[in-house]
Amino acid sequence: MASTVVHVDKLTKKFPVPGGGEEFVVLDAVSLDVKEGEFASLVGPSGCGKSTLLNVIAGIEEENNGSVTVYPSAQSTDGTVHVGYVFQSARLLNWLTVEDNIRFALEAQDVPREQWRDRVGKYLDMVGLAGQEPNYPLNLSGGMQQRVAIARALAIEPDILLMDEPFSHLDEITARKMRIDLMEILERAKTTILFVTHDLREAVYLSDDVYMMSTKPARIFRHVKVDLSRPRHPEDPRLFDMEKELVQEFFAVVEQQSQ
Amino acid sequence: MNKGKPGFLAGGLTLLAFVLLWQVASMLAPPATVPGPRELLERSITVYSEPDSYVVVWDTLRRIILGLTLSMIVGGIAGVMMGLHRHVEAFLDGWIMVLLTFPAICWAFVAVLTFGISDVGPVFTTVLIVFPFVALNVWEGTKAIDKEVIDMAKVYKANRHLIIRKVVVPQLMPYLFSSLRIALSLSWKIVLVGEAFAVGSGVGRMLLFHFQDTRVDLMLAWGVSFMVFMVLIDVLIFRSWERRAFRWRHQVAT
Repeated sequence: MASTVVHVDKLTKKFPVPGGGEEFVVLDAVSLDVKEGEFASLVGPSGCGKSTLLNVIAGIEEENNGSVTVYPSAQSTDGTVHVGYVFQSARLLNWLTVEDNIRFALEAQDVPREQWRDRVGKYLDMVGLAGQEPNYPLNLSGGMQQRVAIARALAIEPDILLMDEPFSHLDEITARKMRIDLMEILERAKTTILFVTHDLREAVYLSDDVYMMSTKPARIFRHVKVDLSRPRHPEDPRLFDMEKELVQEFFAVVEQQSQ
Repeated sequence: MNKGKPGFLAGGLTLLAFVLLWQVASMLAPPATVPGPRELLERSITVYSEPDSYVVVWDTLRRIILGLTLSMIVGGIAGVMMGLHRHVEAFLDGWIMVLLTFPAICWAFVAVLTFGISDVGPVFTTVLIVFPFVALNVWEGTKAIDKEVIDMAKVYKANRHLIIRKVVVPQLMPYLFSSLRIALSLSWKIVLVGEAFAVGSGVGRMLLFHFQDTRVDLMLAWGVSFMVFMVLIDVLIFRSWERRAFRWRHQVAT
């Protein structure tokens, strides 16, 4: 049994509404566990607090109630927790070269300087950008920029990698290629992932575990395991069937809530 | 750079035309009122073959460097604080507006009355006039900082020092550079005025001296040569420094 890396227990997060009045509840007693080596997805409509959950796990937002714990995985060599984050947009530092962008994360995470060169090379190679070290981000395509962001996240050898709709800004062809490549990368890097998306197809294709979230209340209403062997084929009919089934469940829940 | 070429050409040609026109005008006008470019060049050579002239230039340059540096520091800090804290913004907003509209000449008089004949006067005047421009510019820059990359840096647990060095300052650089160039163009003129009023040395003092002597030719020789000197500093030092700092924007895709 793999050990738990992220433990979210009855997490509640509210935002004050401008001008006072009742607070807006974006996360209502949400619980989930991500086990080591697992690919978990959180699927839900826009504005259901998926990103907020990632931000609380990453420590840039505070919880109102409940708790979030991230444990160092077997990968962690220094006993501290490393959290990688890939955002919707690449969020690179455009004034730094590709290499320095990755070094920035390594420096921030106190990775020993003598490992920097190896790590930059290793993870750029892994995302298919070997030799791009001296380039500036603005010379790269959107897809390549996002690959740099993935390399940056992997380079800190994270215990948990959070991904917030990382392919939603890319055109479908590029996004598709990225998903296939991501699967391959993860085979090699053995990273634990919590992936946020509103795309059920993407979620079932990539994940071992899918958590489905509704908006009102902002809760996880369903946890599905995707027991399909890897490597998976994006056109696998079983994925389509699963997606269809889950979409229907979503509609059922939405219907119920509107009554 | 190719795109800018017709502009450079037109600029150069009109400048040349102006110099020619000036030469013609000087030959038609009564002597000693309008010295021509040729005469000016000769006078400039006379001025700069005198070793003492370099002492005069250095006196002025020293005050400009001091005034410029202080203006950038004070304006930079004020601008960043205004961009970051709403109460500082509210407090300084009014002061900046008052300082921007207060006539430069009044500061020069205030400086004479307060500091008498000393180095402090022109520097004081410069800082008071220039720093509000810098503050205004840097304030805009601070407000325009991309919060998303700051969040990224925080997610990766970058400490404050690293965030300032690699995330905040690079985003302020365009504003700092435009401030620096505005500051230079303002401060050298203010220092000259300040010197004419309050100090017994420097290029400003030489301008006043030759004016009182009704030597328009020598006055212009000092003024124009110093202007050329300042333009050269801007083009050769500041602009090439700026180009190097913004390499990441201009690099051609490979």
